[in-house]
Amino acid sequence: MAVDSSLIGASATAPLAARLTWPEQVSGFVRAKPLGAVGAIIILIMLLVAVLAHALAPYDPYLADYGAQFARPAADHWLGTDEFGRDVLSRIMYGARIALFVGFAASFAGCSLGAALGVVSAYCGGTVDLLLERAMDILLAFPQLILALAVASILGPAVPNVVIAVAIPIIPRAARVVRATALSIKENQYVEAAHGLGASHYRVVAQHLLPNVFAPYLIILTAQLGTAILAEAALSYLGLGAAEPTPSWGLMLSGSAPSYAEKAPWIGLFPGIAISLAVFGFSLFGDSLRDALDPKLRGK
Amino acid sequence: MRTYLAKRLLLIVPTLFGVAAVVFLIMRVIPGDVTLLILGGDQTGRIDPQQLAAMRHQLGLDQPIAVQFGTWLWGVLRLDFGTSLWTGQPVIEEVLIRLPLSLEVAILATIVSVLLAIPLGMVAAVRQDSWVDYVIRVVSIGGQAIPSFWVGILVILFLVIYFGWGPPLEFTPPWVDPWANFQQLVWPVATVGYRYAAVTTRMTRSTVLEVLREDYIRTAWAKGLRERAVVIRHALKNAMLPVITLVGTEFAFLIGGLVVTETVFTLNGVGRFVVDAVAHRDYPVVQALVFLIALCFVVVNLLIDLTYAWFDPRIRYH
Amino acid sequence: MAAPIPAPMRHRPLFVSLVALTLLLASLVAAWPAAVQAADTPRRGGVLLAVIGADPPSLDPHQESTFANIELVAPLYSTLLQLDPYHYPKIIGDLATEWKISPDGLTYTFKLHPDVKFHDGSPLTAADVKASYDKIIFPPQGVRSVRKNAYTAVAQVEAPDATTVVFKLKFPSASLMANLASPWNVIFPKKYLDQDVNYFKTHAIGSGPFKFKGYTRGSTFEGERNPAYFVKDRPYLDGYKFYISPETSVRAAAIRSGRAYIEFRNLPNAEVDAIKKQLGDKVAVQETPMTGEWGISINNTKKPFNDVRVRKALTLGIDRYTMGKVLYPLTGLRFVGGLMRPGSEWGMPQAELEKLPGFGRDIEKNRAEAKKLLAEAGYPNGFKLELKNRNVKLPYQDFAVFLIGEWRKIGIEVEHRPLETAAWFSDGQDTGNFELIVSPTVEFMDDPDQFLGRYATGSTQNWGRYSDPQVDDLFSRQARSLDPVERKKLINQMEKRVLDNAYFMPGLWWSRNLVHWTKVKNYIAPPNHYTNQKLQDVWLSED
Repeated sequence: MAVDSSLIGASATAPLAARLTWPEQVSGFVRAKPLGAVGAIIILIMLLVAVLAHALAPYDPYLADYGAQFARPAADHWLGTDEFGRDVLSRIMYGARIALFVGFAASFAGCSLGAALGVVSAYCGGTVDLLLERAMDILLAFPQLILALAVASILGPAVPNVVIAVAIPIIPRAARVVRATALSIKENQYVEAAHGLGASHYRVVAQHLLPNVFAPYLIILTAQLGTAILAEAALSYLGLGAAEPTPSWGLMLSGSAPSYAEKAPWIGLFPGIAISLAVFGFSLFGDSLRDALDPKLRGK
Repeated sequence: MRTYLAKRLLLIVPTLFGVAAVVFLIMRVIPGDVTLLILGGDQTGRIDPQQLAAMRHQLGLDQPIAVQFGTWLWGVLRLDFGTSLWTGQPVIEEVLIRLPLSLEVAILATIVSVLLAIPLGMVAAVRQDSWVDYVIRVVSIGGQAIPSFWVGILVILFLVIYFGWGPPLEFTPPWVDPWANFQQLVWPVATVGYRYAAVTTRMTRSTVLEVLREDYIRTAWAKGLRERAVVIRHALKNAMLPVITLVGTEFAFLIGGLVVTETVFTLNGVGRFVVDAVAHRDYPVVQALVFLIALCFVVVNLLIDLTYAWFDPRIRYH
Repeated sequence: MAAPIPAPMRHRPLFVSLVALTLLLASLVAAWPAAVQAADTPRRGGVLLAVIGADPPSLDPHQESTFANIELVAPLYSTLLQLDPYHYPKIIGDLATEWKISPDGLTYTFKLHPDVKFHDGSPLTAADVKASYDKIIFPPQGVRSVRKNAYTAVAQVEAPDATTVVFKLKFPSASLMANLASPWNVIFPKKYLDQDVNYFKTHAIGSGPFKFKGYTRGSTFEGERNPAYFVKDRPYLDGYKFYISPETSVRAAAIRSGRAYIEFRNLPNAEVDAIKKQLGDKVAVQETPMTGEWGISINNTKKPFNDVRVRKALTLGIDRYTMGKVLYPLTGLRFVGGLMRPGSEWGMPQAELEKLPGFGRDIEKNRAEAKKLLAEAGYPNGFKLELKNRNVKLPYQDFAVFLIGEWRKIGIEVEHRPLETAAWFSDGQDTGNFELIVSPTVEFMDDPDQFLGRYATGSTQNWGRYSDPQVDDLFSRQARSLDPVERKKLINQMEKRVLDNAYFMPGLWWSRNLVHWTKVKNYIAPPNHYTNQKLQDVWLSED
């Protein structure tokens, strides 16, 4: 009897259906979650713009053209110019860099640190868990914006400081979510079994805990991305974020943009649209990702 | 139940203490000096170093940090939050002037958003993946994505330019003149409320979805009850728990989240007061407000947990 | 208009005279309505509604220096002397009816108005003036007096009788009269000061045209008419009310919608234009050059700024004339001048100014020289520096954006660090932790002592922390120089020395726009937002 070579190595627990290739998984996602796909497209476009801003932007975002202040959107300045004659489109493109940088960096840093703390807290249990939970509770009790405000006041207005200021409130939120999942996994039989078999703590965590907290980690990461971008905008608006002449979207909305709104509405309109679009894209994608990964919500 | 309550109450103490310590330290670490600000005036006024030292002594700022913290904590336990470094008035008085406004906006925003969000969320869940669901999801996600200060600015601009309107300059309490009060607060409430509604809609939708898949719902369905009765009686009751949690926690954050809205609409509320106090390095005010907000948050959390324990039949029969 | 004369003139001289007189009277009667229209009769009544951008820390003007204080409380008080609202910078009396200065300049004697009453009914006498000035010049322990150092020349204040106040000086002080006209030097009732020297931080009892009515922090401040005011028939208004509103666009919207009639400080030009466009004739805009200047302090103690060549290069690199044109519509910063306001009696003539580094008209030449100086100093390719600033948009941020662009052109890369007010002040004033820092100067009148004091060694306003004995000498000589011609020469010399060495870099002088509804009558905008706030002669043509 010829042995079907394709069956060699297949274990009893392998799914009977053929495994999907990457393109097939993606198109499956798109079909099942069209909103998520839209979100992903928006994110990709923004990333492209941010990365290629130096090639795509028609002008230097810092270049002040005193002959062309408050220019209406037209062929030479698609989105018009601001009070210094700087091209709004170029500033929005370069602004994507800051928004996405802060969004990703703050969210990633906050969620990773939070997840680590959550895993440690859940795994170690006992006093460590108690202390860490209290610490997280304390941080959570601070309203997010006020904590960010205080941190930004200490560090001073600058983009890297905004990342720190925005990341700190994220830590306890991520820790909470990840800890809950880690706790439920810890109770699982196979973790106990692994211990029984003599696996080291490191092994147990790396092989069993981490892969299974990955899904909630990813969910909260994408959820916080949008929040981080909004927080950066709010801090810049309050004067604690990026400094002039940096092209930050939040900064462009601050201060006197309302005063110029009648004379040159494009100054305050497009940065707001950019922020909303970015957060919208991340939220759509994050929402659909959570729907896809959350076993309770999967399918009909 | 009683031991649960006692345990929870006990856990509040270290949390509050931790919050107090953290905010105390943060304010001391921020560079800048309230005495300089007062003596300096608008731009670069003349400052006599002797006067500076005298003022710092007067405000108790030259004492060691531990002493300052201890003094403050002792005051808090007696409900004395000290006097504002900026104005010299008792902090409690300053807070009480501004609190009713923030509370009113927060409560109204909560009511409006809950009235909107729960029906919308339910409809979206029941008709999952239909065009109704998509529309509601897009609108609620979009709503959350738009920066609230930008919305506030746009609203004000629209009203100013096309209706010759001006944002209200005074706060009239609702029991004095309800119509004036409505006019003053309708736009800030709308600006704060739409975000809140968006968040709550999404949460309602996902919790209702979860519940709809529960076995006992399927059982009820199999028994032949009409769809509407099934959904409303069983699903809603149980979906409400996480939603109540969300409403509760979001409310506690709302007071702080009012910061930006109060700045845009120039409401003399607690949120703006905190920002101003941080800018003035007015430690007692910031400490008191953050402490009170944290207290509010912790108490609300406790109430929610108790509500949970009381409502959910599975917990009750534990 | 001439009526025919009925009879031959030579025979009726009296008749002719009568007719001529009648014609004259007729023409006067015909012209009278026009004359009346030009000088309307003030209408009594109405409450003036105003908006203001901040709350003051306290209500005591002796202890504060923010517009938020003086705008609110000035109508409640009187001062010894004041600036004439209609003829700046003339000094006239408020409580003082006449004064004598001794020939040696060491004794100033003032006679007070005899029938002045405080709002609580008690009479105002020289003892109250003495007590108030003692508080300003010789403050008791623990009480701050912001402008104390302006009166170092005063040895003591005496009140020999109820209507006479005498100031005895140690040495002549050319600026004493100007300082006594300060709007901040309000006269308090002695009896409350005796009880609690800080009483007026939270109370307001004065002798001004209005009485204190109510104050809700963060919200409103109200005053009502004082029927027993010592100036007859004043004030015209029934009261005034300030709405406190920190957002500029909200204040502008308040004026636009008519909820407030006037904003006393300054609104951005964009808002003023929008208001004018919408309301047309219903609003008036008064533009005044301001006694305020935005400049950059250089930290003279830090390398490389201790090298005069580097400092000169920095100031040469700024095209101030273009800056005035560009920043004016955005921020109100407009006039190019030195350390004293251009166009004022002490300002340096334009021709002399243009010879100083940074003030010449040929910007390309200036930039070339700047690069040369930098190369000489060891920076042929420029260098990086940090500019600290206050994180307020107008005019601080816009000012910095322009400067950064300018310095880029001579190879200097600038990192802009806006700070919160508290931190900015701390770095500039307290610790000196900066390389370059934006620093403004705003005073209540063009007084040399007030504007130039900061360039002397050891002054707390000398953020640049430099010390030049020649500058110090010129300053103290001009302070005692009672002859205006001599004084002006000394001032010009001092300015020249500071600017030649670029110890400090002036930027631009401010021009402000005060917009108000035309129904607010008889308010003449002074050149800053500290003076002419008493509202004594202001009236509303309709409610």
